[in-house]
Amino acid sequence: MLKFKKTTYITVNRSIERPLKKTGEEELFNEPHVPEGMWKKCNKCQSMIYTEDVIHENHTCGKCGHYFRIDATTRISMIADKGSFIEWDTGIENSNPLDFNGYKEKIKKLQEQTNLDESVMTGEALIQGQKCALGVCDAGFLMGSMGYVTGEKITRMIEKATEKRLPVIIFACSGGARMQEGIVSLMQMAKTSAALKKHADEKLLYITVLTDPTTGGVTASFAMLGDIILAEPGALIGFAGPRVIEQTIGQKLPEGFQRAEFLVEHGFVDRIVKREEMKEVLAKLIRMHNQSNSLTDIKSVNAPALLKESKAKRSAWEQVQLARLSDRPTALDYIGLIFDDFEEFHGDRLYKDDKAMVGGIGYFRGIPVTIIGEQKGRSTKENIERNFGMPSPEGYRKALRLMKQAEKFNRPIINFVDTPGAFCGLEAEERGQGEAIAKNLFEMSSLKVPVLSIIIGEGGSGGALALAVGNEVWIMENATYSILSPEGFASILWKDSKRADEAAKVMKITAKDLKKLNIVERVIPEPEKLDITTLNKLKEYFLCHISEFLLKYQSFTENEVMEERYKRFRSM
Amino acid sequence: MFKKILIANRGEIAVRIIRACREMGIQTVAVYSTADKEALHTLLADEAICIGPAPAKESYLNMERIISACIATKADAIHAGFGFLSENSKFVDMCAKCNITFIGPSANVIHKMGNKAEARRTMIEALVPVVPGTKEPVYTAKDGIKFADEIGYPVIIKASSGGGGKGMRIVEDHNSFEQQFNTAQIESVNAFGDNTMYIEKYVQNPRHIEFQILADKYGNVIQLGERDCSIQRHHQKLIEESPSIAISNELRKKMGDTAILAAKAANYENAGTIEFLLDKSGEFYFIEMNTRIQVEHTVTETVTGIDLVQEQIKIAMGEPLSIKQEQVILNGHSIECRINAENPKKNFTPSPGKITNLHIPGGKGVRIDTALFHGYTIPAVYDSMIAKVIVHDKSREKAINKMRSVLGEFIIEGIDTNIDFQYEILSHADFQSGDISTDFISQTFLDNSN
Repeated sequence: MLKFKKTTYITVNRSIERPLKKTGEEELFNEPHVPEGMWKKCNKCQSMIYTEDVIHENHTCGKCGHYFRIDATTRISMIADKGSFIEWDTGIENSNPLDFNGYKEKIKKLQEQTNLDESVMTGEALIQGQKCALGVCDAGFLMGSMGYVTGEKITRMIEKATEKRLPVIIFACSGGARMQEGIVSLMQMAKTSAALKKHADEKLLYITVLTDPTTGGVTASFAMLGDIILAEPGALIGFAGPRVIEQTIGQKLPEGFQRAEFLVEHGFVDRIVKREEMKEVLAKLIRMHNQSNSLTDIKSVNAPALLKESKAKRSAWEQVQLARLSDRPTALDYIGLIFDDFEEFHGDRLYKDDKAMVGGIGYFRGIPVTIIGEQKGRSTKENIERNFGMPSPEGYRKALRLMKQAEKFNRPIINFVDTPGAFCGLEAEERGQGEAIAKNLFEMSSLKVPVLSIIIGEGGSGGALALAVGNEVWIMENATYSILSPEGFASILWKDSKRADEAAKVMKITAKDLKKLNIVERVIPEPEKLDITTLNKLKEYFLCHISEFLLKYQSFTENEVMEERYKRFRSM
Repeated sequence: MFKKILIANRGEIAVRIIRACREMGIQTVAVYSTADKEALHTLLADEAICIGPAPAKESYLNMERIISACIATKADAIHAGFGFLSENSKFVDMCAKCNITFIGPSANVIHKMGNKAEARRTMIEALVPVVPGTKEPVYTAKDGIKFADEIGYPVIIKASSGGGGKGMRIVEDHNSFEQQFNTAQIESVNAFGDNTMYIEKYVQNPRHIEFQILADKYGNVIQLGERDCSIQRHHQKLIEESPSIAISNELRKKMGDTAILAAKAANYENAGTIEFLLDKSGEFYFIEMNTRIQVEHTVTETVTGIDLVQEQIKIAMGEPLSIKQEQVILNGHSIECRINAENPKKNFTPSPGKITNLHIPGGKGVRIDTALFHGYTIPAVYDSMIAKVIVHDKSREKAINKMRSVLGEFIIEGIDTNIDFQYEILSHADFQSGDISTDFISQTFLDNSN
């Protein structure tokens, strides 16, 4: 190593004295120093970050993406249109029901420190011009815990929203019940939930956004009752806190346990929304529910120059193979073709989010509709993720949840059927595959909104029927719909699965046969080779005929819609 | 008066700054990454402090660590050299908040001049000529063509978010405009997700002429003559000269005055550079302002005899300029060649590694700025420029001869360098006659410059 003449070598000493020099009333450092609060330490990646950057980037860490907790006022400024928030119900007296020593003083001190009167701020606001009731919990106030005043403010807000027919949006963030208020705190769970039930019975929209942390009594009441449940990335969401669980079961919990992503995977959160898009997403969702579901201002599209049904004479077996082709468009391709602004929702609210089933809301020519589909993959990797389009019980339960939601908000339902069959596996049986399918048939029969089911590929048995109890069932020209696969049929009847081609013929499973049997109302002609590149040739066709379908049911009463569907199946 | 300066850089420029500080009796603090533990700047400074692992993002670009190092070593000021944090307004802002002097202009000026559109607007307002172009963004070929017809062809279409030639097209005539515009826009959308386009007059075969300016706190601004940096490969300068062969005394005065005007319009303080494009007819256009010391400041130092880094430090300490404009005289001719650790025959692939043998030339009018020493290992993670060879002589011809002689003497073994490539350029008849533009390299050495 080169040796140069140097004056000193240094070692970094953490405790460097910083001489203070007083100028006037302010204390000024004359030496280089870091002013208080210029940097902030990220509590996830531990790196130092520039506070200004944090504010600029919606209170997230620019280095690891971690979300910092934000107070209610900041949150409202990020969500509500400027100056639109009007606070409700401030100054409710805290009663200290248990006469808990020092509690009143503590509240008073916190009120002074935080400028909040309780752990939640409620009021009305505009989000991109749309009015809603907005409640925002603040973790800075006794960990956002729910005491009497918190519960009361939320309840009053919901009641007022019910009265004014407003959607409710709550940003949940809480450690749970307020210990200092004991059993009274527990009662707030029931009180807020009851108010929400009344709000829901009025068919009004309720969206919750779960932020870090949402736990305990809040999770077990208003936080989990949203029609739509959103969450911020990485938010801790759970009933029992992770530490309590670890102590109870004596095991270390896995990475990511009880995080927002875990909740999505387990079916309890519809979607994770980043802070920068939160306002946009909320506005869109409110808009989708504010909009009229009526097609009156839509004129029926002229019937397009119809595609001719293909002249090619194909055997039934050839048709089966066509229906199974991996380059056929999948449910999401059709959704992208026919609908705008599809917003996908996840989870069955019971156990899991099944990726073999997709569903959500989208616009059909400006009208919000619920869209559900069985989703296959195109590559092997995608297919493994989508379980080859074979839904588990969770998938059917998600579909039913979304159909019930559609019924609540009076949205027509459009289903895309494409499955070799319901998933046949150990877990599926454990969780009641049969029950899940049966429940769909049962509930779908009495849905008060029109249901259109379109079989786009394989209509495999009960797994297909569970989405096909529709007012009308349509089928693509080269799709099939059957009691089971021709291979299965041949093997049961003739003990020889190799005679599948023969089976395909006798089973009458092609579109044409099904039309003859009055199992389907419409056969949709396909372009010569149907794949994602040729799919757009069908756009006009779908726009035209789905419009017709919706227009027809618009004049029906709820009972007529149900009755017609009942008769359709009654006659079979 | 500064007692101690922290140098937030590495390589030859860090060494250059350390030397200036020593000459002024100011102590120095080097910061270094783990890859630079045995680098010259680390060894040379009075104090050295490690600021993180090799990737620049973790060390030389890590503002928090550099500020902490500055506070820990109680340095009064930071000199950031060029590259890294030298034009980072956020960093400058942080320094100000922490009561550390940043040797350079204020955060505000850096921000303003760093924003192309804003810099352009400032200059237009100050009546500094800029390349004619659209004031507002253009989104459709239809709007663009109207403008292009107005300013005359050829025009250049640029993506607002563009870089590296993406979303950039030169259009020769009216007929090909629409198609070229659309391809450029699609390219921009695909690469940057942005369909905002600008259209400018395309200056054909321009020379890159820049003026060094110095400005103090008190509104005094002088210019130290020009540098001709037309020898470039992919917008990377290779050879710089002062003065420029393409400029008459009259034009020098005119451009110099414009440079001063530009610096004043920007409310500039410290050393800076005003870059112009100069076309064959003698028209020149402001393109941008560099708010830092530049690699090629050495040629200006050589012909003016002024130590720019020392001047920077003095300005930052609040001293008024000690030189008046009329005292600035360009004496003789100076050329700089940048020596890079790269292989021109292999598409200029960087060639880091250990220096197994080194001979640094010398002699009258020869200056070598480098951080190399025998046995040093050039890390792969940083810029490949390893040395600057600067010569000074009475005339351009003599300077070229001297440079060729010096390059012939410069021996660096263990890695590949572009010394031979530089030698070839210097030997080229067009270079020698001075008949060059910024396209010289790409047109003359087409085979291996791509």
